[in-house]
Amino acid sequence: MELVQNFPFLTIILALFSGPLCSILKSKAAKWVNTIVIALILVMSVAVLIFTIQTGEAYVYQMGHFSAPWGNEIRVGILEALMAVFFCVVMLLCMLGGRRELAEEVEETKQNLYYVMVGLLLSSLLALIYTNDLFTAYVFVEINTISACGLIMIRQNGRAIEAATRYMIMSLLGSGLLLMGICYLYDLTGHLLMSNIKEQVALLQQSGEYHIPLLIAITLMSVGLAIKSALFPFHSWVPDAYGYSTLSSAAILSSLVSKGYIFLVIKIFYRVIGFDVIRESKVINVLFVFGVLGMIFGSVNAIRENNIRRMIAWSSVAQIGYIYMGFGLGTTAGMIASLFRILSHAATKSMLFISASGLTDVSNHDTDFFGLTGSGYRNKIAGIAFTVGSLSMVGIPLFSGFISKVLFASAAYDTSGKLIPAMIALALSTLLNSIYFMKTVIRIYTPSHRAGIATDTRTIAIREQPQKTVVLVLFIALNLVLGLGSQPIVDLLTKGLEMFG
Amino acid sequence: MGIWILIPIFLPVVAGVLLLLSSAKAEEETPPRCASAAERAGHSKNAARGAGAAKSLTRLHCITAAVLVVSAVLALFAAWSGDNSYTWFELMEGIPIYFQIDDVGRLFVTVFSIAWVLVCFYAFTYMKHEGKEQRFFGFYLIVYGVLVALCFSGNLVTLYLFYELMTLTSMPMVLHSGTRESIMAALKYLFYSMCGAYLGLFAIFFLYKYCDTLTFTAGGTLNLALAEGHTGILLAAVMAALIGFGAKAGMFPLHAWLPTAHPVAPAPASAVLSGIIAKAGVLAIIRVVFYTVGADFIRGTWVQTAWMSLALLTVFMGSMLAFREKVFKKRLAYSTVSQVSYILFGLSVLSPTAMEGALLHVVFHAFIKCALFLTAGIFIFQAGLSNVDQLEGIGKKMPKTLWCFTFASLALIGIPPTSGFISKWYLAQGALEAEVGAYSWAGPAVLLLSALLTAGYLLPIVTNGFFPKKKEQGEAVQKEGASAHGATITAYAAGNASAADAEDGSSAAASAEVPLGMLIPLAAFAALAVLLGIFPNPLIRFVGQIAASVL
Repeated sequence: MELVQNFPFLTIILALFSGPLCSILKSKAAKWVNTIVIALILVMSVAVLIFTIQTGEAYVYQMGHFSAPWGNEIRVGILEALMAVFFCVVMLLCMLGGRRELAEEVEETKQNLYYVMVGLLLSSLLALIYTNDLFTAYVFVEINTISACGLIMIRQNGRAIEAATRYMIMSLLGSGLLLMGICYLYDLTGHLLMSNIKEQVALLQQSGEYHIPLLIAITLMSVGLAIKSALFPFHSWVPDAYGYSTLSSAAILSSLVSKGYIFLVIKIFYRVIGFDVIRESKVINVLFVFGVLGMIFGSVNAIRENNIRRMIAWSSVAQIGYIYMGFGLGTTAGMIASLFRILSHAATKSMLFISASGLTDVSNHDTDFFGLTGSGYRNKIAGIAFTVGSLSMVGIPLFSGFISKVLFASAAYDTSGKLIPAMIALALSTLLNSIYFMKTVIRIYTPSHRAGIATDTRTIAIREQPQKTVVLVLFIALNLVLGLGSQPIVDLLTKGLEMFG
Repeated sequence: MGIWILIPIFLPVVAGVLLLLSSAKAEEETPPRCASAAERAGHSKNAARGAGAAKSLTRLHCITAAVLVVSAVLALFAAWSGDNSYTWFELMEGIPIYFQIDDVGRLFVTVFSIAWVLVCFYAFTYMKHEGKEQRFFGFYLIVYGVLVALCFSGNLVTLYLFYELMTLTSMPMVLHSGTRESIMAALKYLFYSMCGAYLGLFAIFFLYKYCDTLTFTAGGTLNLALAEGHTGILLAAVMAALIGFGAKAGMFPLHAWLPTAHPVAPAPASAVLSGIIAKAGVLAIIRVVFYTVGADFIRGTWVQTAWMSLALLTVFMGSMLAFREKVFKKRLAYSTVSQVSYILFGLSVLSPTAMEGALLHVVFHAFIKCALFLTAGIFIFQAGLSNVDQLEGIGKKMPKTLWCFTFASLALIGIPPTSGFISKWYLAQGALEAEVGAYSWAGPAVLLLSALLTAGYLLPIVTNGFFPKKKEQGEAVQKEGASAHGATITAYAAGNASAADAEDGSSAAASAEVPLGMLIPLAAFAALAVLLGIFPNPLIRFVGQIAASVL
């Protein structure tokens, strides 16, 4: 066994133990420990990615040398490694981009706690990506939930606490359903390791036994995770949680936390149950319908929203709808489109949150739509990044959003009967997106003295915020890479999905 | 050598972005200006500004003119120096961003370049009255680069990319004044264009599956063996593309942005929106129908029938609405709706002669409509007159301008020997030749009726301008016009109308010395509109080649 093969396990442990370490350090030291740990994990994940690309196959890593049916396993392929790399990049950028807000909005004594939560969150995300054991997955789902709640609640104001409570309730409901699903599955198959469950499910499917309990298990797990990842109509906590938490939390929650759960859904579909069984079970049709509804409903609400942070949060609801719509298509092409959307959305949404906060900084911290008039001139890099993010969300070629829309459309083409609804949903959502994003872009580039609105006249030059500028430039670059050089990434996703099952 | 194609695309784009970046700095530093009526009359403005500002303005004009002329020359050189192609990069597997120069591209890029340069020189003077020149010319340059790329696009995805970019970069020209009305108009423009472009994209997805290649090939690349059995959905996709790209061309049912966007945009922007950017929709339709799907696929199907009906309906409806409209620029906008659908009708009958007529009308209408909008701009700029009823006796004050307008109007109506006659002749001839049932006589009939209406909405301006009615009648009309105008939507135009109200109507245009910077481009357009009608043969031969190659 090569050294690199240990890295996935090491990254999980490293992230997990960086938490307690942060809690005993001074807050400044904790900040740096956190950053360095994330960067280190990023480097290790890149090494794993390169290793898996070179070997071209997935490998299984046994924990504690207990063999298959009893031991705990990690399974690593291209797809997992790629996701880990991407999550680390976005996490790192989100933390750097939200540092100043963190220092301002969170009490000095609570800041260490924040880094503890971030460490736990990262470790649970990595575990969700790598684990090959369904119960381990459940444990880390819970860790993820708790730390995410902490991230929302760390900003001690009324709205944030209310949002965290709502999030907690919805999320625990989801966890409960997931746990029940896992119990059913354990009863039916007698295993908790994913690969073993799949073998047994295939046998059950052949014999035709326990058809309904299996269906119930699938439904419970899908619905549970759908609730946790804020699929319409379980999205009610989203606008508040993303709108009133501190900047890094909003960016991380929208681009990573929900994606971790979605990745688990993919894993359950491909590795636990088997995609053919899922397709026959018709659960995906339900996901398709709710995905489409979410796309439309999220955008409509975003149009009606006047608070820029909440507007971006509503847009996330729509984006989650896209991803579930891709699942609902029931084809591998649809799944790849969804995976690409995960990447594209993670890169874009966190950029939008960070740039929006840059814009509100120069508008008396006014998140109201009219208060932002002309802010694109006052904070140039934020204005540019917000524009790029908006164009990407609308789906203008050159940016990542366009590629993902093309992937969805060509995936929808190969399905029977879902083509027309998918196309109509894509069309409507594109239009609605263009309304609220372009409205905002025009607003931030309307000179305030012309519009006759008295606004903050403070400007923030690029050199006054070097950190944020670097972060936003990197996000823009990430978006362009996804938009212009999409083919290698789509190839990697395709190859990774092949070795995923 | 193919890489040379990129230069006329990137030069104006880069220059435009640089202008914008340096203007963004100035933008917020400029103190709010008071919007007095005196400032609106452009000539006093320069004096009011410091000498330094005047110098920087001259520098801006020099830079813009130099960049634009150089890129136009390069674009024309690239276009006419022979067939050429260049693959820039692969957007996705099998979808390259690819440029290719062919005859249609040549025709469009030539028309676009000539009009863009002339309107630019006009705008140097006109924009003094709007302010924020640097931003305007920045976007103006960028849109030119995007348009050149659009003309040179070698496949549907490249076309779509630059089509979207054209929408986005031309939008700031609509919202230039920054008032609430203009922003709403710009959003409406954006909404219609996005709606249309997405319908186009929908078609592209399908064509990608059923065509051998998306690279433009005369006669189409549809794989008929693959398409067998999926004709219904393919036809629906083509129809979606027609309606979608028809949005830019102002075709019913997505035409409504034109009359909203034009009155609020500065006159040079209206001129290029109507004259040029509407033609980009035509270009996209030509590319889809004749270079990707192939005319034979839709010949005789419900798509052709629907397309012809929509085009004819738009021709008639546009003329009727223009006839009723009192705001000058809005009237011209409706006129564009009607005239561009002449082109679409010519394309829709799928006969070579009608297609020649359509392509000729692309050229002629571009120049004519620019001339008309530039005239409207001069009236606003010199005298603050934006309503047709206020133009009583304007010929006494600005005879040269009104003469140019007269020639352009005659050309648009189609009176020989002006250019419009030739294109309409070919259109009618082509429709009669084509085997399209009742449409082959209904089409020419509608075109003729619409020509009458065109005369009805353009010539009274000329006759009233040169031969005003008696003074008291004139005044009564004036009052009525001004009060009706109070309800119009444009903010500054309303301001101007009240300025015109304050003075005695007919003396509003007292200061009638039209700056040469505005008059010369106008005269050039009017001359082109007439001269192309007298010497049309090289052009007819050229469009004949195009039509023969695709039909």
